[in-house]
This record gives sequence, structure tokens and C-alpha cells, in this order.
Amino acid sequence: MVDARRQPGGMSAPGKTEPTEAISRARAGNTEAWGDLYQFYAPAIFRFCRRALPTREDAEDATMDIFLKVRKNLAQFDSSRPFSAWLYKVAANHCWDLLRRRRSRQDKETGDLETLPLEHPDPGQLEQLIAKHTSEEIRRALDKLSARGRMALVLRYYSDMSYEEVAEALGVRRAFVGVVLLRARHELREALGRPDAMAAGGTP
Amino acid sequence: MKHVDEISCLLYLEGQLERARALELSAHVDECSSCRTLLRALENESRLLTRALAEGEEMVPARLLVIPGHAREPVSWAWVGTLGLAATAVYAAWTGYVEPWRQQLEQAGFSGNNLLNLLLFQGAFWKGWQSMIGLLEILAMMTLGGVGIALLRRRFRRWSAAAMILTVFAIGLGMPSTTSAAEFRKGQSMVVAQEEIIKNDLIVTGQRLRIDGTVEGDVISFSESLEVNGHVTGDLITFARTLRVNGRVDGNIRAIANNAIISGTVGKNILSVVEGLTLDSKGTVGGSVTVFCGSLSMDGNMGRDLLAYSGHAILNGIVGGSMKIRGADLTIGPTAEIKGTALYEQGARSHKPEVSPQAKFASPLEIKIVEHHRPYDRPGWYIWKIIWMGAAFLLGLVLILLMPRFSSDVVSSTHRYGAALGIGLVVWCGALFSAVIICVTVVGLALGISMLTFWLLVNYLAKIIVGAWLGEMILGRSTDTGSLVARIAVGLPIVVAVMMVPAIGMLATFLVWIWGMGALSLTIYHRLHRGTVMSPAGPVTA
Repeated sequence: MVDARRQPGGMSAPGKTEPTEAISRARAGNTEAWGDLYQFYAPAIFRFCRRALPTREDAEDATMDIFLKVRKNLAQFDSSRPFSAWLYKVAANHCWDLLRRRRSRQDKETGDLETLPLEHPDPGQLEQLIAKHTSEEIRRALDKLSARGRMALVLRYYSDMSYEEVAEALGVRRAFVGVVLLRARHELREALGRPDAMAAGGTP
Repeated sequence: MKHVDEISCLLYLEGQLERARALELSAHVDECSSCRTLLRALENESRLLTRALAEGEEMVPARLLVIPGHAREPVSWAWVGTLGLAATAVYAAWTGYVEPWRQQLEQAGFSGNNLLNLLLFQGAFWKGWQSMIGLLEILAMMTLGGVGIALLRRRFRRWSAAAMILTVFAIGLGMPSTTSAAEFRKGQSMVVAQEEIIKNDLIVTGQRLRIDGTVEGDVISFSESLEVNGHVTGDLITFARTLRVNGRVDGNIRAIANNAIISGTVGKNILSVVEGLTLDSKGTVGGSVTVFCGSLSMDGNMGRDLLAYSGHAILNGIVGGSMKIRGADLTIGPTAEIKGTALYEQGARSHKPEVSPQAKFASPLEIKIVEHHRPYDRPGWYIWKIIWMGAAFLLGLVLILLMPRFSSDVVSSTHRYGAALGIGLVVWCGALFSAVIICVTVVGLALGISMLTFWLLVNYLAKIIVGAWLGEMILGRSTDTGSLVARIAVGLPIVVAVMMVPAIGMLATFLVWIWGMGALSLTIYHRLHRGTVMSPAGPVTA
């Protein structure tokens, strides 16, 4: 379906085999193996945080904090499951916690989660809207989304998480993940469609 | 069937619909072109969104390339580097500044004793330190503090800055109190009555102080005026606007004062920095007089040498040893007598000394005209500047390696000009004043001195920080440790060069100090308040 999908360190990244041996040695307390592990995953986690959080500084701090958490809780990791999935789960939880603690942006999305306008959008307009923007403009527009919407899009379309995983990370019922995603897309379309979004999307 | 809604389309695309519902939808879409277009648009949107998110592979910042908690080797060599650097700096400072001074002062009568020892460790100034055997213990304590900081840093990463400050404070507070073995007095105006005998050191603060009685020990005072009419058997150490000694001080006088008038007897030496120093014709000094002052009037007797750096000097008394005066003008009156060598160093543009023919000299007055050479003319000065700059650069390097995150945050903070300069000015003045106040109120002398040291250190670091900023202005923002170091390498020499320019340099230096301090304070502030005060846009977005 979405065959153009490429996962830079995504959860189910094909062609990227997990350093299983390093993981088990790191779990046993080997510092060197931990170093290998860190170097293997840190860039991907940084990129994830960079997309999930508003600023580069936030992303850097969050990456450091996430790896500290991971190291501390390495013993709790179930080695029969993929490591990167666990890592992303920790990262998602951390970023979401961080965003939730900064309430300011979220005040506008209180509880109206389940009331989604179900009108039929004009498909032609929709198509045009997204297609005429570059990837960079789209990424910038993400900054204007609500924290939840942005997080949902990143978890689903960057980290390639399943609906269950997104639900768990965001603390919503599984049945509403689709609604959250669609709302986020609406927000994105709105952000892209606003003329000031374009102007503000210039050099900051 | 009616048209499919958008959410169903999305769920269908993402494979989240139940089988029956999916089949139904797919059947409808086959027939309805409008829904087909919607489905295609959504699918397109998904693809574009995924692509947009996947692209834009950013450089991973350098501080993330340093493996957290895995930096044992780099840290140990960084410590070695720091110690080596510190040793070099101490050696340079010693040979460049302290040693020449020491030699001069030794010639001036402080001979036979290590001046530093005399000033710092034997003086009542450091009473509390006497319980320590000496420098070795201080070094051991500092090392311990350093190790403590390193350990704390690893434990409480986020609180590293706080831990560091607290450790400094703790060391300051933990220092033996200077007041423990002394009598401590405080008051608007304080008088030690004529018949009173204090068998102890006396530490006093107040506006007007008068000692009419006897103090069998040292006197340390901070006051507007101090008058000694009685007898002090130890040293007299004072910070005062006016110091007047009519009585007797058996030990040394060390004074920082506006005006000092000695008409009594001083058993040992006088070392003082004053605006005007007068040794009355009735006054006598058993030892030598070393003074930095605006105007000097010596009518009394001195047992040993006179060494003075003064604007105007008038000598009518007897100098038991040799005399060395450096200044703008000198008058030697008829009653003057110099039993040793006499040397007067004068600037090229100052007056010739007026010497009375009746004055007695053991050897003829030697007059040396000192070329007031500006430092800019000497190649050595530049070499020293370059060495110091190299040291500063190395220090920056070590700090970046030790605290990559913190360093890059500090450099980022310099770009918030308004905040950095504003906070910098407040902290710069505030820290300086509070350190001085803590010093003056005696109780926290050790704390005040640690604070002052810290303040000086930050001033030193400021040029590295601003150098990094300038480097970033020229080469663009740094992305990793290597590039940050490169930016310092570019920026620091320019900053140092600007700070050396005669008139503008002073202003530039001050600007660099407050800016650097502001950036540092800002970063520490953000560290301490992370999570509680954060703007939605984060601390730095520029």
C-alpha cells in the first residue's frame, strides 16, 4: 500500500538486524557492549525525538534521558521481543510525558477527542493541498500541531508503530487511534493551508 | 450505499477495518468515483507524510556521540590535562608575577621569610588555617573536592551544575571559622576602654572603633575609622577609611585604608595600600615600610627599609635601611637621613626630585629614569599573551570534553544576547558585591574568598565562551564537539586581540565578562528549572 515507506531506524526496519549479542552483553553489565548499543541506536532515537519534540535542544536532552532510562531498566527488557520496539516504546513514553508536562499547547484539545467532524472533505482539494508542499514544509507544519496530534503522526508514520502501540504510548483507547490520527491530519492540512503558515515556514 | 466517511477510509487504508466492513467499503469504492478519489488522496497523504518524516536526516549532535556513562578513559585523561594545565598556569603566574614581587619585597625587608607564608599562613588573617599543616592539606582537600564533584556529576547528571556550586559552598562553609579563637565584636561605635585588657585576638566591625586599652593578640578590623591609642601586642590588620595609630602596635600593620596616620610606635613592619600615609615625626617603625599610595609623608623613624610606590613622596625622617621609591615626585627634606642605599625611580616626564643639601645619605641618591614602555612594544608580552591564550584554549577543550552538553548549552545561550547580557550584568555585579560583603563580615571570609575565586574563574572562562560565540558567527553554528572546538580556535584569538586594544579593550573586556557570565548563569538556571519553567518553544530556537 504505502510502498514508498522507508524506515530510518524504524521499528520494523528491514535490512537492519539487531545487535542481539551486544544487547545480551549489555544486559549482563558490559560497558563496552552498552557503548556499541548506544552508538547503534542513538542517531535513530535522536531523529525520533527531533520529530516528536519542538526544538533540537529538547530532542538532544530527551535522547540522553531516554538512554539513561534504558540503561537503568535494561534488566526489564524481555529479550524474546525486538529491542528496537522496546526502545521506541521507552522513547515514546518519555517524549509524551515531556509534552504532557508542558500543558500550554494542549489546552485547546481537552476531551473533544471523540467528536470528529465526519463530513466528506473535497478529495481534489485535499490532494492538491498536500502534494504542493515540500517535505520540509510538511515537517515545519508539524510544529504547529497539538502535541498529541504530532506525536500520533510521528509514532505511526515515522516509527511505524501498530495501532496498539500508539494507543499504549498515548494513553488512549485503541479504537480512537484512527480518530487521533485523522484529527492530526486535519490539523496538518489546516496548518499547511493557512497562508501565514507558509510565511512563517520561511527561514526562522 | 451512502458515501464512505473519511475515518473509515483511513482505517481501511491502514488495515484496521474488520473484514466484512472492509469488503463492503471496497465494493462501494469500486463504483463510486468520489470515494475512490478520497481514498487515493488519503493514501497519497500517508505516503507524503511518511516521506516527509523520513527525510531530513539531521546531523546527530556531537554531545550525543559521547556515550553517556562510558567516558571513563576520556575523563581520566581530561583530569590529567586539567591538572597539567593548572600547573602550567600556576608556574606562569609565579614566574611572571609573584616571584619578581617576592624578590623586591624581600629586598625591602621582608627577607628571610617566605612572603606568601608570612602574608597568608602566619598572619592572623588565616588564624583558622593554622590548625592545618599547610599547603599540602589544602591541596588534598581540593583534590577531594574535585573527586567529589566528579562522582556527583556521574550520579546526578542533571544536577551537576548545582552540585558543583554546592560543593564550593560546602567547602567554604566547612573551612575552619576564623573567629573560633578570637573575640568578636560588632557595633556602631566600639571602644576598648583604657583599663580593659583583652587576652585574645580581637576581631571588630563597626563604624568607629577606638582601642584605648590593651589587646594581647592581633586586631582585625573592618570599619570606617580605627584609632589605636592603647597597646596591641600582635599584628594590626585593618580595612578602614581612616586609620590612626597613636599608641603602640608591637607586631606588623597591614592596612588597606584611605588615610593612615601613624604617630605612635610600630614594632615590626608596615605593609599598606593607602591613599595617603603619614608617619608623624613622633612615630617610629621598628621594621620596614612597604607602601603603595597616592601621597606619602614620612617624618618619623624607620628601623629598616622604605619601599614605596607613590605619587608624591616627602621624606623628612630617618630610614634605617635602604630606600627605594618609585613615583611621580619626591621631596627629601633637611632632617632626612638614609643609612643604606637610596634609589629613586621616576617616570620620564616627572619632575626631578627636590633634595635638601642638609639631608644625610650613606650613599649618593641614585636616580633612575624609568622608560614607561607600554607593554605593546615588548615582544615578550605578546608571547605571554599567546601562551595564556593557548592555556585558555586548552581549558576550553578540556571543559568541552568533560561536559559536552553543558558546554554546548552555554555557547547556545550566548546567542540570546539580551538575556545573557542582562543577567550577566546582574550576576557579575551581584556576585562581586556579595563576595566582598561576605568577606567583610568576617564570618564568611573563607566562603567569600571561594566565591571571589569562582567569580574570577568565570571571568576567565568568559572569553572562551564569547570566543565560541564569535567562532559560530563566522563559521556557522557548531554541530558537534569537533566543530565547537574549531569555532573556539577561530573566535578566541579575535576576542583576546580585541581585549588587548588600548581604550576599547577595557570596554570589550567588561562586555566579554558579563556576557560570558550571563550565558553561564542562563544555562545553569535552565538546568535547575528544567521542566518547571519552559516556554513551549524550548529555551533556544534561534
